[in-house]
Amino acid sequence: MRVSWAGLILFSVSHAWAEDTPAASPEVATPEKNAAGIELFEKHIRPVLIEKCYSCHSQSADSIEGDLELDTSAGLAAGGISGPILDKEKVESSLLLKVLRHEEGVESMPPDEKLDDETILAFKKWISIGAPDPRDSSLPTSQQMRAEEQLKHWAFQPPQASTPPTVAQADWPQGMIDSFILAQLEAKNLQPTADASRETLVRRLYFDLIGLPPTVKDVRQYVEDQSVDAVDRLVDRLLASPRYGERWARHWFDVVRYAESSGKEFNFTYPHAWPYRDYVIEALNSDKPYNEFVREQIAGDLMPEAPYELPANRESRLIATSFLSFGPKRHSSGGTAFRMEIVDDQIDVTCRAILGITVSCAKCHDHKFDPIPTKDYYSLAGIFLSTDPLYGTILQKYSNNPTDLLPIGPNAQAKHDALIEYNKMVEAVEKPLTTKKAELTTVNEAKKTADKNKGAAEKQIAANQEAGIEEDSALKKKLDEAVAAAKIEADNITRLNAEILPLQAAVDELKKKRPPAPAYAMMVRDSAKPADVKVAIRGNLGSRGDLAPRGFLTALQVDDVPEINPKQSGRLELANWMTSKKNPLPARVIVNRIWHHLFGRGLVSSVDNFGLMGSKPTHPELLDTLAVKFMEEGWSVKRLIRAITTSHTYQLSCNSIDQNMQIDPDNKLLWRSSTRRLPAEVIRDAMLAVSGQLQIIPPEGSTVTGLGDKMVRNIDTKKLQPPSNHRSVYLAVVRDYAPEMFDRFDFPSSALVSGSRAVTNTPSQGLFLRNSEFVVEQSSYAARRLLAEKSATDDVSRVDLAVRWVTGRKALTVEYEEALKLIDPIRKSQAEIKDRDVAAWATLFQALFSTAEFRYLVDIDTH
Amino acid sequence: MQDNIQQPMISRRDWFKVGACGFGSLAMAGMTAQQSIAGPLAPRMPHFAPKAKRVIFLFMKGGPSQHDMFDYKPRLYADGGKTGKNKQTLLSPLWQFSQHGESGQWMSELLPHLSKQADQLCVIKSMQTDSRAHPLAIPLLHTGSFQSIRPSMGSWVLYGLGNSTENLPGYVTIKPTRTYGGPSNYGSAFLPSAYQATRIGWEGKPVKDATIKHMTSHEVVPGVAGGVLDFAQSMNRRLLARSRQNFEVQGVMDSLDLSNNMQETLPGILDLNRESKPTLDLYGIGNDDTDDFGRQCLMARRLVESGVRFVEVANTGWDQHSGLDVSLPKRCKSVDQPIAALLIDLERRGLLEDTLVFWGGEFGRQPETQILSGKVALGRDHNAKGYTVWLAGGGVRGGLSYGVTDELGYEAVENKVHLYDLHATMLHLLGLDHKKLTYRYAGRDFRLTDLYGNVVHDVIA
Repeated sequence: MRVSWAGLILFSVSHAWAEDTPAASPEVATPEKNAAGIELFEKHIRPVLIEKCYSCHSQSADSIEGDLELDTSAGLAAGGISGPILDKEKVESSLLLKVLRHEEGVESMPPDEKLDDETILAFKKWISIGAPDPRDSSLPTSQQMRAEEQLKHWAFQPPQASTPPTVAQADWPQGMIDSFILAQLEAKNLQPTADASRETLVRRLYFDLIGLPPTVKDVRQYVEDQSVDAVDRLVDRLLASPRYGERWARHWFDVVRYAESSGKEFNFTYPHAWPYRDYVIEALNSDKPYNEFVREQIAGDLMPEAPYELPANRESRLIATSFLSFGPKRHSSGGTAFRMEIVDDQIDVTCRAILGITVSCAKCHDHKFDPIPTKDYYSLAGIFLSTDPLYGTILQKYSNNPTDLLPIGPNAQAKHDALIEYNKMVEAVEKPLTTKKAELTTVNEAKKTADKNKGAAEKQIAANQEAGIEEDSALKKKLDEAVAAAKIEADNITRLNAEILPLQAAVDELKKKRPPAPAYAMMVRDSAKPADVKVAIRGNLGSRGDLAPRGFLTALQVDDVPEINPKQSGRLELANWMTSKKNPLPARVIVNRIWHHLFGRGLVSSVDNFGLMGSKPTHPELLDTLAVKFMEEGWSVKRLIRAITTSHTYQLSCNSIDQNMQIDPDNKLLWRSSTRRLPAEVIRDAMLAVSGQLQIIPPEGSTVTGLGDKMVRNIDTKKLQPPSNHRSVYLAVVRDYAPEMFDRFDFPSSALVSGSRAVTNTPSQGLFLRNSEFVVEQSSYAARRLLAEKSATDDVSRVDLAVRWVTGRKALTVEYEEALKLIDPIRKSQAEIKDRDVAAWATLFQALFSTAEFRYLVDIDTH
Repeated sequence: MQDNIQQPMISRRDWFKVGACGFGSLAMAGMTAQQSIAGPLAPRMPHFAPKAKRVIFLFMKGGPSQHDMFDYKPRLYADGGKTGKNKQTLLSPLWQFSQHGESGQWMSELLPHLSKQADQLCVIKSMQTDSRAHPLAIPLLHTGSFQSIRPSMGSWVLYGLGNSTENLPGYVTIKPTRTYGGPSNYGSAFLPSAYQATRIGWEGKPVKDATIKHMTSHEVVPGVAGGVLDFAQSMNRRLLARSRQNFEVQGVMDSLDLSNNMQETLPGILDLNRESKPTLDLYGIGNDDTDDFGRQCLMARRLVESGVRFVEVANTGWDQHSGLDVSLPKRCKSVDQPIAALLIDLERRGLLEDTLVFWGGEFGRQPETQILSGKVALGRDHNAKGYTVWLAGGGVRGGLSYGVTDELGYEAVENKVHLYDLHATMLHLLGLDHKKLTYRYAGRDFRLTDLYGNVVHDVIA
């Protein structure tokens, strides 16, 4: 059920008012008083408003200053960006009076002139009798009208499934997706291009679904499989591979800006972020329903346990909430500012990642483009302020707000407790040792001093004797004292050493018995006292407005979510609201993200923005039908991917058609398959696959864990990205220090939500491919692998195999000739070349790795 | 959200053909510069006629003491020793000021070389910024924000103007810091990564030993790079032929050619041995005090001369909380001669008129001494409310002293220039309207100056 926008604003105004004025309501006025008040308004107030204020504060103004509208009673009562302008209780506190009086600290109004005292007095009187306003209170302000209008935006309407349209070429569609696509093509006189060859398709599917190239055998098997369901079986096989989760997790990480350090000015490591990485991969591989997946990340800690549930399941739900903890943070700050910065980030990432709308603009003012009032922002802020993120940083010197973490794994809590206990024990045993050692140092110093005194006295006595000076009793006394002192200290040293010995042994012994530490994860939990917060006017935390009860976005009314439990943060309800089938956005947004990854462009091309500033869908009915089906079929991501990849549309070639190019050069209507560049991670993984160096068994944990709680700037850059042959998804994601290759190939900033990556072709990519150690090494490994291949022992078959490995197709004759031209001079060179054959063939691989055919999904030449 | 950069592109060759006819003809062809190749780096027309075409950004990390270098305050000499308004002792400048050049620009004896260039400098003494903490002020200076990760100024400039040469990176940073935001101070944030800076060296390590990654050959076998390129391009050409109108393939081919050119060009440009002995001497190269920064400055000149759009040159150690008497002269000595040399060198090559040189830190310093661990230290604390930077070349009014701080130099009082105003002004000099240089991200158009910034027309010649 949708509450009208105007109604909401009016409601919030009266609500605020009710909070502030428990006493008699000034709006209850006697008829006489009322009549007099209205006369006052008509005679002294309205004319001034019209003459002096409307030019900036009415619907007829060029731009409404400060969001304040005085030409409606609703606008006058609501006030503007600085809050209400009338305080009927404390009349003198009314902002309106202050600005009219040109008081300090407020803007003077009217700006250029001050009204005469009499007029200002009239305003004061008018406010003191309750500011009667006879104008029609049901007339909306222009902001309310705009909001009403904004609410009609397509993305805020529930998605409706449509019957697939009928098409002229009835035999073309392989399913409902194709009917929607073809209908639009036919309407625009576009002809779908030819189908992709089997070689092209198998490569496309491997890269899209698992992010690795098909082997020569994989290609052959598929090409030769003549059964009708060959594609379906291939898709199923790829979706069942654990490599699928590794590929698609990275898409999600871009959106949730997953990283293993805090970023910002100090950039602290997050050594315990990686369990979230594994959680996402596992969730995708097990095809966890998307609504469940999202719910767990927002409120996994609050979700009820299932009967007889495995502890590991519950633990993974806790890990899921790291999503709210690993955002960029400024740990060096503190207090409300620090908390609000985290909250801003949490609101931003949840709303953009899951709902595709930007809410953060509403922090300081009602959203300029979308129907999101400031109050909504603070309703969400209340939820997140009632939530404590656990991010660790315990050993960080400059972290002002370290927290505990979640011990994970078998017997984690027991291990953690044992470790804490052990640390206490070490401390207890070390304490006397430390004391004794300090004592020893002091005593050693004293002994040295005594020895020095003794030596000095002796020397003086000897010198005196030499010079024949008679015995000096004072000197003698000094010597005696020094000797005695040295003896005492020597005894002390012996005693202390004896005492230290067993203590030291005990400590040494204890240190050998350090119990194994558990692994840890980040998470969030409800704070001790969940509470609502007040609106911060203009985003200024010092200036508080109305209370904003914890809640969700008023523009998206969902009636199947229960009220927020006041004893909790409200995240559980938020999670349910965000993933409700009645919420018009989550299914559309994820369906569109998946579409984007499989076609290179979303049905809505602004994948992170479904608001009024976002792009319109190219195929609205298709998007909605897919979204509805997605929800009905249990929010299964794999099912959706299967439906899309088995469509005729997905299986088209990249082949161009001149006439189509005239009509739809950008291929927005999908008459062909777009040439897509592989992302940085896939390019790297594919090189490792070709070179045979890919370590397919996932690593345990992350290399960042071993670095400990550190500031990134104090870590050698080589240690941030140590050499690794694991899949790219397992490389450390340290903010601002992405692996060199990723930076070159458009890896997005891991501080920002990035549902769509840029694709650039730059010289620095060429330089990387030519000169980087990584590419050169992988080329050498590939050459070794090629030379060891028993099926290819002559040049012809070796060139052929090399080309097959890198591009998925057989080599052309001309390529064989060109390859020989490249490698022969090396083989025949007089110069001393180590591993000459390897060097020659490695050079060929280096050339192959820098081709467009390797890093783009193009039509494969099958001639 | 940026709408797809992969869409139709014209080839680099076409671009330069079309580019010759100006921006309008491209727009008529229904394409934006971004869709062309060299893609994101293709040259673009500014919003209006520029006064400067390139920038050298001299960053003095730590916050140089304006009281001892540029902002002459007779009263501070007189009041030294008295208690200041922050309840600490006012510290007289430790060095003498005098007027220089025809303009009579006030500068201290710490800058004997630079003071000879006084008439080139447009000294802004009324700077203000939003934070007096290094961790916030440094990103603010570089990106206009410390709240969120935003593109750096050089990235914005490159995005706005493209690169003027095919053979070199468009944005280079020499010896940047790894602290206080580190790489995000020269990063591109939500702009495509093609706009981030190419880094040479790190703070704290001599630039002599620095290299640009992947610029030197790492081939399996030396001398085969040409063959590798030929083989790859030959394959690319065949792909291009059979996949008609495939601009991505053209893009790959162009980028490979350009990388080849870059590798041939850049090492030569960074090779300072190609400079004459007098020039090396001018920059103080070979002299222990000035060698490192001299090299940085000379590299900067060689880079901009060859067409690089934006070069940042960083120097560190300007955070004198104590030891001002020893440490500041040392810092000044290390940069004074090289910077003066840079201005002389740019001018004699006719480059200064359209090269905008910026000098400054993330903020300035206080007129009072500082208490460190309970003791009075010979140093000054940070000051964000009044500090000095200067501009030179690129259409600014040389010899101008702009803006005034109060008599003791606590705060700017006249013609205040906020950091956003400085950014707006620098963009303006480059022919870019800071309000129009926007990028759509997260449903909103972002810009370097956020919602602020006024061009300071008074400093423009």
